[in-house]
Amino acid sequence: MGLPDASGDLSLEMEVDAFRRLFPLRFYERHLAESIRPDGRPLGSARETSIAPGAVASADGSALAKIGSTTMLAAIKMEVMTPTIELPDEGCIAVDFHMPPICSPIVRPGRPSEAVPVVSTTLSDSISSSGMINLKELSLVSGKAAWMAYLDIYCLDADGAPFDAALLSAVAACSHLQIPAVSLNDDGKIVVVSEEDGGKLDKEHVNREKRKLTLRSIPFSLTCILHKNYILADPTAQEESIMETVVTVVLDSSSHLISLYKPGRAVLASTSAVQDCIALTRQRVRELLKILDEANSSMEVDKV
Amino acid sequence: MAGRPGTNQTSYSPSLKTQKGRPPIFKDGDTDWVRPDGRGFHQCRPAFIRTGAVNAASGSAYAEFGNTKVIVSVFGPRESKKAMMYSDIGRLNCNVSYTTFATPVRSQGSDHKEFSSMLHKALEGAVILETFPKTTVDVFALVLESGGSDLPVVISCASLALADAGILMYDLVASVSLSCLGKNLVIDPILEEESYQDGSLMVTFMPSRYEVTQLTVTGEWSTPKINEGMQLCLDACSKLAKIMRSCLKEATTTSQE
Repeated sequence: MGLPDASGDLSLEMEVDAFRRLFPLRFYERHLAESIRPDGRPLGSARETSIAPGAVASADGSALAKIGSTTMLAAIKMEVMTPTIELPDEGCIAVDFHMPPICSPIVRPGRPSEAVPVVSTTLSDSISSSGMINLKELSLVSGKAAWMAYLDIYCLDADGAPFDAALLSAVAACSHLQIPAVSLNDDGKIVVVSEEDGGKLDKEHVNREKRKLTLRSIPFSLTCILHKNYILADPTAQEESIMETVVTVVLDSSSHLISLYKPGRAVLASTSAVQDCIALTRQRVRELLKILDEANSSMEVDKV
Repeated sequence: MAGRPGTNQTSYSPSLKTQKGRPPIFKDGDTDWVRPDGRGFHQCRPAFIRTGAVNAASGSAYAEFGNTKVIVSVFGPRESKKAMMYSDIGRLNCNVSYTTFATPVRSQGSDHKEFSSMLHKALEGAVILETFPKTTVDVFALVLESGGSDLPVVISCASLALADAGILMYDLVASVSLSCLGKNLVIDPILEEESYQDGSLMVTFMPSRYEVTQLTVTGEWSTPKINEGMQLCLDACSKLAKIMRSCLKEATTTSQE
């Protein structure tokens, strides 16, 4: 008896839940043939997405992003450094991605997940090559002092497409970032101007007021699964474990391609499939821009 | 040290300097001062607790006490590590870590070994280990933001996460700490109060059984003071356990609907 057929026949006799557990791929393919996914989504649409800026009070900028159950917390801490001799007018941004053991049953303490360095580098590349942040804005005193922005992203709940949620939270944290007001003290060090003595101390103000960064082209991403002729946008962890070919597309807000990442695996992505992925991402960028704008404007209303 | 060429530590936090050398606002013997957040001495911070924070885990809980924010996930019971010896009873594996942005000045965000073992000690008396022989239950905590009294919040949150995962326990474990500042006892201290404290007391307590699973005392204490502190903590633990219990009930009623 041929195995695939066997499972096909069995599906008529056994319970749905048992079939899903025993033949996950067949279970999915049956859904895909009907152009629907087991969680009720059409193939091309992403899960419900939300952003909460300012989730961490102890950071200079922060945001919590949720795509379905996948949850990412990004926070930025600003420190002062001496700029390099080659680039005296530029600050620096250090991106780090973490998957603590709380986020998934696979991660154990002391043994970081394999996905971590990949996501970390891709994030860092996407943020720097999109030119979202003008590093000159992070300069304080030319050649003497500049901001070092430590952007740390923590995965709190891993349920597929970690990169998309991580990039979204990173971008949201950058748009929430408030650069603190600082002055140069007598020892030649940069110190924060506290609210009370800000007015009376007539020291050399380097950065007089709290200010926000002006973000140029913002990068957004969408991860898709390619399986046979189907393209599934924004996969869950279960979908990722069953169907393995993944393509991640990063576009900026004006739809320029920033990065395209397809790690190995069986199905060779054809040109048309890649183009379809990019088209889906273009749609998704519009959605995400709207969600980010709404989150930021609701934040401003809260302040007033 | 800022930008000294050739050193690895090339950046510094600009707020570090202003924190140093600030005179203690908590004077000895003076009972008139108010706490930085305006609470009474024997008043706990408002607690926000929820179960089911992490979908990927068997059970989880999120706790927010003032600025202290903690997530605890519970995994298992699952297969013990291969290297482990055979055991008739279950194992409890605890780990506490901090995010890099949890503390006012950025840290490396590493594991907190001391808290991990204290969390284990606080919980092992409450979990019925006989119910999952040969297997391990993992309790992982992440402190998202440290605002003082971190360990008690982690412990209370962990016992809630264990309950959410359906791990059998004798009772919920609630934990509260207290700082001694001069002549005064302040309950549920914030980070600033903890940094100036003369002594501390932490109680982890199972209210229904009236049993203490862990008691930590640091600093110099007189017997009457310890009694007073104990009583304050026990009362606060009982109240906290009530809130935790209602949180669990709420979660089950909403999931049934």
